[in-house]
Amino acid sequence: MSDLIIFLVLLGLGYGFGRYAEQRHFRSIIAREKEFRNLPVIAARFPPAKLPPPRTRLVSGSVVVSVDYFKRFLARLRNLIGGRVKSYESLLDRARREAILRMKEEARGLGAEMVFNIKLETASISKGRKRKIGAIEVLAYGTAIIPSAGNGAAVELQQS
Amino acid sequence: MVPQLFHLPVMERLLNYSNPEIPEGINYSKEHPLKEFFLLVVGVLLFFLSLVLILGVLAEFLASYVPFSAELKIVALQKSDEQPEAQAIENYLQTLAGRLAAVQGLPEGMTVKVHYVDSDSINAFATLGGQIVVFRGLLDIVPDENTLAMVIAHEIAHIKLRHPIKGLGRAVVIGTAIAMFNGGAGNDIVTDVLGEAGLLTALKFSRDQERAADAIALQALARVYGHIGGAGEVFRLLQQQHEKTGLITPEFFNTHPLTENRIEEINVMANNNNWPTMGFMVDLPPAFSQWLHQAREVEDGSGGQGLL
Repeated sequence: MSDLIIFLVLLGLGYGFGRYAEQRHFRSIIAREKEFRNLPVIAARFPPAKLPPPRTRLVSGSVVVSVDYFKRFLARLRNLIGGRVKSYESLLDRARREAILRMKEEARGLGAEMVFNIKLETASISKGRKRKIGAIEVLAYGTAIIPSAGNGAAVELQQS
Repeated sequence: MVPQLFHLPVMERLLNYSNPEIPEGINYSKEHPLKEFFLLVVGVLLFFLSLVLILGVLAEFLASYVPFSAELKIVALQKSDEQPEAQAIENYLQTLAGRLAAVQGLPEGMTVKVHYVDSDSINAFATLGGQIVVFRGLLDIVPDENTLAMVIAHEIAHIKLRHPIKGLGRAVVIGTAIAMFNGGAGNDIVTDVLGEAGLLTALKFSRDQERAADAIALQALARVYGHIGGAGEVFRLLQQQHEKTGLITPEFFNTHPLTENRIEEINVMANNNNWPTMGFMVDLPPAFSQWLHQAREVEDGSGGQGLL
């Protein structure tokens, strides 16, 4: 009986804190995405070849998120039944977007205006016990394109 | 004018690139997590409870097809330590059991053997192969033969109804089902919760079985003594013990129905069958306390071991 009570308390804590943290994080993400809207990250590998090569730097952003008890319990039930593990979906969405935002921050810090060849990697950081996922790391990395003020070789652009 | 290369407006024109605001809720669901939680938990619990129920019923039904001779064979494999000091008390108990078994109409081949165990526990139980175990603690507090007869008749009724083998079958099947979930889910807390749910369902069978045994025991008592005088006394004694130890747990978590319920049910049964609730109470044999004292005198550490 006491096991059941402990379990319910953990569940409640996980749910309460987890949900509060998640809502806050989403609000922060949406606000910062607005702010960084003008620094696009592009999956294409190279800028158009006809342009002279710009200054480039590798930029990356990473984030490690952990699952709360409530989300983990829901995921385990889903393991029995199957279907979308919605509790993890929102967590991973936040992690991806946060990683991209951190990469954008680094790019902006270098004076870049866009990032090419962006890639995402996800790794699980296990606690040591085989079946339990302790935390997830998402890494976003790409090539930041830094425009130099006053380029020596000016190229006439076709006005489209 | 020197065109500023790799500035966003230029690139957007060159690449025909646009970066609109993406709407929320594409990669995740806006459904409230508690809604999913309740749906899943209720669904899984209902499924598991019904599974345990069905398996339990099936197991009990199949277990009754195990012949009593098989139970005897299982029991024969176990060596029981004979206590010569307890011989006198066991003889008396066996004779009493024989009278009570005779009026219950046990099927062909079913035998009853009573064992005495030197322990303070105020209890008696029936197990495989027609074995009944009576503890010294219970024998210490029975005031007369009728009360003792009720206890023994109750245990004989369990044997007649094949409850020990059914209980064993049910426990094995449910235990296996829970072990299957263990492997599948791989999560301690989930299986703990499911295990508790399974245990609660298992308890219900035991309560029904106790009621059935009560009914048959009352009938045997009435046939042998002409009245059911000792029956209520047993449960009053049990209730006293419960109150002494201060344990009053809700019925759901007990394998035995609460004593108040049982006493009530006895009176109802007595009414329905016109059995007198009081009558002449047969005293325990004069040498009874002497036999108990004898059995207790020699303290042997392995007393009573080897029984199921």
